[in-house]
Amino acid sequence: MTVNTAPTALVTPVATMSDPNHLLEVKNLKKHFPILRGIFSTVKGIVKAVDDVSFFIHKGETLGLVGESGCGKTTIGRCIVRAYPPTNGKLLYQLVNLSAVDLGKLPEKEAGPFRRDIRMIFQDPYSSLNPRMTVFEVVSEVLRVNRICPKSEMQDRVEALLKQVGLRPEYMQRYPHAFSGGERQRIGVARALITNPRLVICDEAVSALDVSIRAQILNLLEELQSDYNLTYLFISHDLSVIRHICDRIVVMYVGKVVEVSDALDLYINPRHPYTEALLSSVPLAEPEGREERSRIHLQGEIADPSNPPSGCYFNPRCRFAQEHCQSFEPQLRDMGDNHFVACHFAEQMSLRGVIH
Amino acid sequence: MTSKDILLDVKDLRIHFFTDEGVVKAVDGIDMKIYRGRTLCLVGESGCGKSVACRAFLNILRSPGKIVSGEMIYYKLTEDNQIDIIDIAKLPPKGDKIRQIRGKEIAMIFQEPMTSLSMMNTVGDQIVEAILLHDEMSKENARKRAVEMLARVGLPKPDRLVDEYPFRLSGGMRQRVMIAMALSCKPSMLIADEPTTALDVTTQAQIVDLIRDLQKQLDMSVLYITHDLGVVAEVADDVAVMYLGKIVEFSDVRTIFHAPKHPYTQALLRSLPKIALEREELDPIKGMVPSPFRRPSGCLFNPRCSKMMAKCASVEPKVTVLNENHTVQCLLYEE
Repeated sequence: MTVNTAPTALVTPVATMSDPNHLLEVKNLKKHFPILRGIFSTVKGIVKAVDDVSFFIHKGETLGLVGESGCGKTTIGRCIVRAYPPTNGKLLYQLVNLSAVDLGKLPEKEAGPFRRDIRMIFQDPYSSLNPRMTVFEVVSEVLRVNRICPKSEMQDRVEALLKQVGLRPEYMQRYPHAFSGGERQRIGVARALITNPRLVICDEAVSALDVSIRAQILNLLEELQSDYNLTYLFISHDLSVIRHICDRIVVMYVGKVVEVSDALDLYINPRHPYTEALLSSVPLAEPEGREERSRIHLQGEIADPSNPPSGCYFNPRCRFAQEHCQSFEPQLRDMGDNHFVACHFAEQMSLRGVIH
Repeated sequence: MTSKDILLDVKDLRIHFFTDEGVVKAVDGIDMKIYRGRTLCLVGESGCGKSVACRAFLNILRSPGKIVSGEMIYYKLTEDNQIDIIDIAKLPPKGDKIRQIRGKEIAMIFQEPMTSLSMMNTVGDQIVEAILLHDEMSKENARKRAVEMLARVGLPKPDRLVDEYPFRLSGGMRQRVMIAMALSCKPSMLIADEPTTALDVTTQAQIVDLIRDLQKQLDMSVLYITHDLGVVAEVADDVAVMYLGKIVEFSDVRTIFHAPKHPYTQALLRSLPKIALEREELDPIKGMVPSPFRRPSGCLFNPRCSKMMAKCASVEPKVTVLNENHTVQCLLYEE
């Protein structure tokens, strides 16, 4: 695979990254969805799916994005691949020549190269493959549509990649229904990688798979990362998978980032009460000492993103909440050692991790 | 453990699905004992037959599934402390006898709390219906018990919630309502089929703890079906590992996690990403679960097994009893 499709020259005004090692910088990203009602589709409210989120991804790292359902992690992924236009904020993406471009403001004409450079692997291996296309058609579609390489070369490229993701190229003319869940996910991986992307967004890429197959796909993703120097944004709710594959982790709660940290540090030393509760909820595959393990049970339900509580969104469920938390929204603060947290009282709390 | 402690004794149960493409042996000769007051986890990957097996215990198999052979002996404790022996496999699925067991003696909660509750009836009506079906009491008393049960499963403001419709509740609350309904007739056994798979991790932790607490309070047996080995480690007393319709290993939870004997159990544990200080390499099981129409000969696990021997492809392993609470189906341990 020699064709590099990474975008270089551009007409769009070029921004700069704050650090040359960052591949992507998300700055104050907002994505709001209007709630429309009635025959005139009047706006009855706004769901703040992603509300003022900032983080960055280093080149070649795996960044984990964790949180419970409805926290906005998938929406962020979709904004990055330009499936949703952001309501506000910047998505700075570094080009090969080290200048940067805002993905959100990119005109449609110029978006093509980025669609090949930022690819996505989806959760459900059953619904994410078109049942009426053969494996070859699924994987080569992007090459064909964008006229990236001649037909003769296409065959070889697909064949080589299928081999690499652990599928037999002889099966390339078969339809997806002939494959098991794990194999289909491999097809999804091949489809994402056929354009030689630099950034791959894995949206719950292993969540629908059985334990033994999940391990196969995780190992495959790691292998491909070192072979092709890939950068992953790994979106998942599974904290044991995140621990295994990620270098750094962003924890989200109701559209906001509550904590950013190096992977191991987060599990040893969480600084946000939500992270602490989340970690304590993970069932550990170790029966010894389970009676002594006490869990932090969060009170109440997750906040409604169309009608969030005032101040810190987590305050109604937080066991450390004080009056201050109800009226002032905490900002993400640098705690040193690459650890950022959005909590007013992070310094005063000593929270329990799950790795000692 | 004496035979008096056994609640349900499953012997050589076989359930086959007769489809147009051929016969699927979903459950292929399992033996299992469920003891009073203990939690048994049935664990395995998708398609191993764990859900089908537990549906059979209630005699609610979907067509074209049929119990081909085997016994499911239920030891029912009568009011005067006698034990009534009932073979569930022999009861007609629509008869009165099974209906007295279903919901009353053995209750079940399902994976999807959204689809297993009616959206057209209030929470209270649905629980009251379940109570009145099995116990003779006035509607007012049944309603009182419904409120009591809702409080017991930790739902806030149960007297208001009883008139709520399920679509107004969150996933975790619905699963609590399901549990309240299942336990409203004080069953001796609760079957929980992946009760937390559709829930978020913080909600899952609450439901798992709730089931564990209620099990202690009500002294019932729990059959917990899951694919999540983390949950198994949290709740199980005993564990049965299933692969392609067979129980390949059975033992207490500590033995399964610390001294597993079957290569499949060992491989499952090695392929699990762990939350630990050191990042370990994952060691996945090679290949995949074979199609139910193309079952391998000999030991069903042999094409994927790392300890495969020549005879594994032809000889079918029998159940080997390692000690009184540890059985394994593998040729490695046969004399």
